Amino acid sequence: MSQIKAEIMTEAYIKKDRLRYVKNKLSGNLAIISIVFNALFFVSIYKSNVGQYYYKPLIGASIVYNLLFMMIVFLVSEGSKNYSINYSYIAIPVAVLQFARIFVYPMMGHRATTLTTGVEEQVMKDGQFIRVVIYLIASGVFLLLSAFIGIVKCKNLQKHIAEIEANN
Amino acid sequence: MAQLSLQHLDKIYDNKVQAVYDFNIDIEQGEFIVLVGPSGCGKSTTLRMIAGLEDISKGHLILDGKDITTLPPKDRDMAMVFQNYALYGHMTIYENMAFSLTLRKENPNVIHKKVLAAAEILDLTSQLNKKPSQLSGGQRQRVAMGRAIVRNPKLFLFDEPLSNLDAKLRGSTRREIMLLHKRLGATMLYVTHDQTEALTLADRIVCMSMGHVQQIGTPLELYDNPANLFVASFIGLPPMNFFETLVSGDKLIGPHFEVEMSPEQKDLLASYQGKHITLGVRPENVVPGGTVPVKVSKNENLGMNTLVHGHIDGTGSEGKIVCKFRGWGDYKDGDIVMVSFNRMHFFDKETTNAITREVK
Repeated sequence: MSQIKAEIMTEAYIKKDRLRYVKNKLSGNLAIISIVFNALFFVSIYKSNVGQYYYKPLIGASIVYNLLFMMIVFLVSEGSKNYSINYSYIAIPVAVLQFARIFVYPMMGHRATTLTTGVEEQVMKDGQFIRVVIYLIASGVFLLLSAFIGIVKCKNLQKHIAEIEANN
Repeated sequence: MAQLSLQHLDKIYDNKVQAVYDFNIDIEQGEFIVLVGPSGCGKSTTLRMIAGLEDISKGHLILDGKDITTLPPKDRDMAMVFQNYALYGHMTIYENMAFSLTLRKENPNVIHKKVLAAAEILDLTSQLNKKPSQLSGGQRQRVAMGRAIVRNPKLFLFDEPLSNLDAKLRGSTRREIMLLHKRLGATMLYVTHDQTEALTLADRIVCMSMGHVQQIGTPLELYDNPANLFVASFIGLPPMNFFETLVSGDKLIGPHFEVEMSPEQKDLLASYQGKHITLGVRPENVVPGGTVPVKVSKNENLGMNTLVHGHIDGTGSEGKIVCKFRGWGDYKDGDIVMVSFNRMHFFDKETTNAITREVK
C-alpha cells in the first residue's frame, strides 16, 4: 500500500483493514469470561451438607461436561482470536446448552428435598439457586456475545480481503 | 528532525570509573553521525546518555534549544535501535511496531496508518502477521527500525545494529539504513566499532578512544588527515604502517631505509631536524618500485589487489609493513620487493599528534 493510498484511506476502511493484523481479542476475552462464570457455577453448585442427593451418575456427567465445556470454550477463544468463523459457530450451541443446564442441576436441586440430620431440607436454597443460575446465564450470554462478535468480524474481514483481492 | 548539542559531557560511574571525558559536538538537522572506536571506548555509553538510559555526570544535552540533560527517556522523543533487536517474541511484527504507539494510547486507526507506512518503507508489509522468530536477522533488524520509524522521533539512535548479522546481510542492511536516512531526512546517531560502516554511512565520524574524542570530521578527513596516531591506525583497512624515523637534512632515515623529502615536507619538519618522528604510510600508498627494500613473508591475493605482508629488509618487528598493490601479485616468501611511498603522514613521537595534514 503506497503512502498516497494510506492517506486517502477512510476511517471506516482503516477500521476494516486493521482486522487483517489485529487479533479479535474481544471475542477471545469474552469466551474466557464465559469460562470464568462456568467455573464459578461449578464450584458453587455442589453443597456438602445436603446428604447424598448428588451422589448419582449425573454428577459424573456434570463434572465431565464442565471439563469439556472449558476445553471447548478455550479453543473457541483461541480460534475466534484468529478469526476462525467455525469456532464462533461452535460457540453458539455450547452457549445455548449453558441456558439449558439451568433446568438440570440448579432446577432439580431447587425442587428436591433431602433428609439432613433427620430434618427434611431443600437441596438448593433460593440464594444459592439464584446465584448459580446467574452464573450459568452470564456464562451463556458472554459466550453468545463472543460468537456473534466473532462471526461479524470474520465476515467483515473475509469481505475486506475479497475486496482487496478483487482490486489487485 | 532535530539539532542536538552535546556540551562537555562526562560520564563517571559510582565506582569512580570515568567512561566519557568532555564530549562536545553540535549535530545539525538531518545529519548522520557515527561514533566509532574500539570496544570500551565509551561510544555506547555516550549514546545511552543521549537516550537517557545513563545519567549524565557533567555537562549538558541540548535538543532543539531545550536542555534535556535530566529529562526521562520517555520524554526525549528519541527512538533507539539495539543490536539484539529487542523485539517481543509473543507479538506479531505488526504488534511489535505498533506497541510504543499503543502505550501512548494513540488512535488505533492512526497507529494502523503509521505501521503500514513504515512497513512499506522497510518492505515488511508481507511479514506483518508473522512472529519475530519466523524472520531472518536482517528482517528482525528492519522491524526494530520500523518500530523506531512509527514513533516519528526527533532523533534516531542506533547501537551497533548490524553486529548480529552475517557479512552479506550487514552490507545490504547498511544500504537500507543509508536509504532510510535519505528518505526520512532524519537526524541519526549511530554507534559501531566497524570502520566500514562508519566510513560508508556517516556525514561526520566521531572517533573515540578510552573515553576521549580523538577526532570529529568527515570520513575523508579522518582517512586523509588523521589527527593522531590512534585515528591513523584505527581508520583504514589494513591499518597504516608506522616507522620510527629520524629527520636528517632532506631525508627521513628509518630502520634500514631512507626516504627523500620534498621541499614542502622539509619545511614542515624543519623544527624536527635531528629528532625522531613517527612516519605513517597507508598500505595503499606503498607502490612497487623505489628504494625501500621489503622482504615478503606472506602474499594475499584479493582479486583486484594483492596484500603483501613483510618487513623492511634487515629489520625485525619494528620494520613490519603491509603493502596493498594493485592487481594480482605472485610474491614468494623471502622475495625482496623495492617499494616507495607516494603519500606520507607525520606524527610527533611524544604527543602522537599529527604534525600536519597529509603531505604529498
